[in-house]
Amino acid sequence: MQPKFNINRPKISDDEINRHKNFEQLVKQFKQQSIHKAKHDKSWWKSKKVRYTSVISGVTVICTISYFALFTKLNTNKSNEKIITQNKEVEGIEKTERIKGIKDTKNVKFINAPSTKIVIPYTSYKINNVKGGEINHPTSSKIKIPKNSFIDKSGKDIVGDVTIEYREFHDIGDVIVSGIPMDYDSAGIKRNFETAGMFDIKGTQNGEPIFIKSDKILKVDLASITDEKKFNQYFLDTVKKGWKYLKKDNFDTHQITNNQKKNISQSERSRKLLDENPKLSYIKNQIEVIIPKKIDSVKIVYTKKVETLPKAKEPFKPSKSSGRQTFQLDADKKEYPELAAFDNILFEIGLENKNYTKEMSDITWTDVKISDGPAKGKNYLLTLMYLKRTEKLIVYPVLNGKDLDKAQQNYQQKFKDYESLVEKRKADEEKLMAELKAKQLAYIVGIKIKQEEYDKEVSRLQIQMKLQQQSELAGEFNKISNTTKARRVFQISNFGIFNSDCPHQQPQGATVLPIFVNNTTTFFPDLIYVVEHNSKTVFTLSYENNYKFNYNPSNLYSMVIFRNNKLYICSKDAFKTTTNKDSNKFNVKELENNGDNLVDFKKALEI
Amino acid sequence: MTVNSHYHHTGSQLNEELVIIEAAKLNPERFGPLYDKYYKQIFNYVYQRMDCKDTAFDLTSQVFLKALSNIQNYQFKGVPFASWLYRIAHNELMQLFRHIKDKRSINADIGDLRFICEENEEPFFEDYIPAIKKLIAELNEDDLQLVEMRYFEKRPFKEIAELLNITETNAKVKMHRVIEKLRHEIKKLKI
Repeated sequence: MQPKFNINRPKISDDEINRHKNFEQLVKQFKQQSIHKAKHDKSWWKSKKVRYTSVISGVTVICTISYFALFTKLNTNKSNEKIITQNKEVEGIEKTERIKGIKDTKNVKFINAPSTKIVIPYTSYKINNVKGGEINHPTSSKIKIPKNSFIDKSGKDIVGDVTIEYREFHDIGDVIVSGIPMDYDSAGIKRNFETAGMFDIKGTQNGEPIFIKSDKILKVDLASITDEKKFNQYFLDTVKKGWKYLKKDNFDTHQITNNQKKNISQSERSRKLLDENPKLSYIKNQIEVIIPKKIDSVKIVYTKKVETLPKAKEPFKPSKSSGRQTFQLDADKKEYPELAAFDNILFEIGLENKNYTKEMSDITWTDVKISDGPAKGKNYLLTLMYLKRTEKLIVYPVLNGKDLDKAQQNYQQKFKDYESLVEKRKADEEKLMAELKAKQLAYIVGIKIKQEEYDKEVSRLQIQMKLQQQSELAGEFNKISNTTKARRVFQISNFGIFNSDCPHQQPQGATVLPIFVNNTTTFFPDLIYVVEHNSKTVFTLSYENNYKFNYNPSNLYSMVIFRNNKLYICSKDAFKTTTNKDSNKFNVKELENNGDNLVDFKKALEI
Repeated sequence: MTVNSHYHHTGSQLNEELVIIEAAKLNPERFGPLYDKYYKQIFNYVYQRMDCKDTAFDLTSQVFLKALSNIQNYQFKGVPFASWLYRIAHNELMQLFRHIKDKRSINADIGDLRFICEENEEPFFEDYIPAIKKLIAELNEDDLQLVEMRYFEKRPFKEIAELLNITETNAKVKMHRVIEKLRHEIKKLKI
């Protein structure tokens, strides 16, 4: 049977695919399947090999336990150290769990970050290999990269941009979450490092690792929270699985103040980020410039429209002569169209003319001019000239008799037209103004929408920045509690992990075989870190020694315990309380918020 | 030719993946990142070969359940973990098609068919579509698998070789033979 052939079948969206993902269900199914399989699969017991192996294993386990019990007792008797007795009831439970845990501890990696929730991320920087450059890390650390420093795996010079990934560790909290081992074998004596700052640097191009050229040196000025001079520089050799001494630390306390000043505060940075966000800039520009401009321009457009509406001109109202002196003149009707409709118009002398005398009407004036009067369209200025004499009179157009009747009829008609035109203009103007208002309102609504969009984007960015800050806090210098006091200068010729350290002796004094209790329940940890606050060192406890460790009763300790990716803390007080009571039951508290925040972790650790 | 780049891993990515696999061997709940990473790829691989969406989702879940159940037996061979998952998916598909033959379907875009013609240096006309569909549908399962991976899923030979557990040269030779077969048949279309 031939398979069906579909052409251009619609693709299934990522959303739909993701909706069907259910990892919890998968694990549940797997567990059910395993239980079912275990219940029904009894064939293994039929095998002779299994039977013999079980018997031999059983005997071996009994012997081993007896041996260790005796061995521990002998050690206890030999040592002058104060050994705290274990609670036998708990030990029973613990032992079983510890045996289960053997498999886990065998596969532990050399650099083994204990938590997947708290990680110190790398910060990526792009550098052009041909040009070289300087990286300014937010902690005020600097990395100086000379030109053409990098080669690829075949030894060829890298062309173009390379990605430098960099992260720093400054205190015990950073060290614990990094999973980087801090023990150092000094001439056969195991010691623990106190760090003045550690960094991890690597380089890639298009995902492929790159290398530092043999004749090139990268200078790393690592910001340090201490200005003590007791530290040395070490490099973590991941092949030989140990720290390699490089040289005495070289450090610089100068320029720190200036550099700290240069550091942009978090709020300034947030503001800068908001200012530089292209989407926000676009919306802000819309709100502050584009839309207001549109509002203004629509106002201009509509004002012009209103201006271009036909304007009504009130017709000239003919008046009857009041009997005062009049002049008959031929006024240019083109120049004075308001007079065009009237025949035989006369110009009567106005009462306001104080210079008028009767003799003026007897003079034969050589030149007469008429122009607009102070009340344009209502009166006129009559200029009479005779030789050097010039008289100016304000005159009013008047009519008499039939001319007046005819003019009044004409006026009535024109006035009606005028009134209707005025009404029409008023209506048109109101309509245009309503349109203008509607458009302006639409723009104002547009501004409000944009403002909401802006606020939404700002809050989205703020959340994003908060998350980023949190992640940066995890990766960068802890600015809350630490301040840069010195800059430790490293000259590196390869990528990897470098440390400014001071080795300390492992604690001596009392010995304890710890049992961990969380809310009255004992549990078996995956990983335990003991922090000695006096020497600022941290050491991991080994399963092989049943997590037994030494401590100096006069020093301060706390413990960090990882179990199933959950983080528990045994505080300084809890540690002290337990050891003061000669007990070995350490009360621990689970870190709130699932232990996913470096700041909370450090706070809980009291560093 | 656009190459499917999801499969390719750098050395460090392979190492990271290996760490997760080792963790998942100790604790099945650590299998999560692999499930998240490959769910879509495996679903697309399965759905590419069948019509029923629901069956494809069920089969994808089955693939991951099998992977989780057998992760203790997984051995790193320098190739991405996806290679192992694809092989499980392939076996599951074959098992399904053995029982229900009409579940098998072939899915391609017209562009893919055009590409096959162009690769054979033959012009493509829309009239050819039914005939090309028939030609492809008549291929045996192994040859069809090659055509699907190369032309419909745009996988490089290196990846095809890893998924089919053969050498890259062998994959190329087999593909060449299928192409020859197709070319011969496509030429007939013009007559």
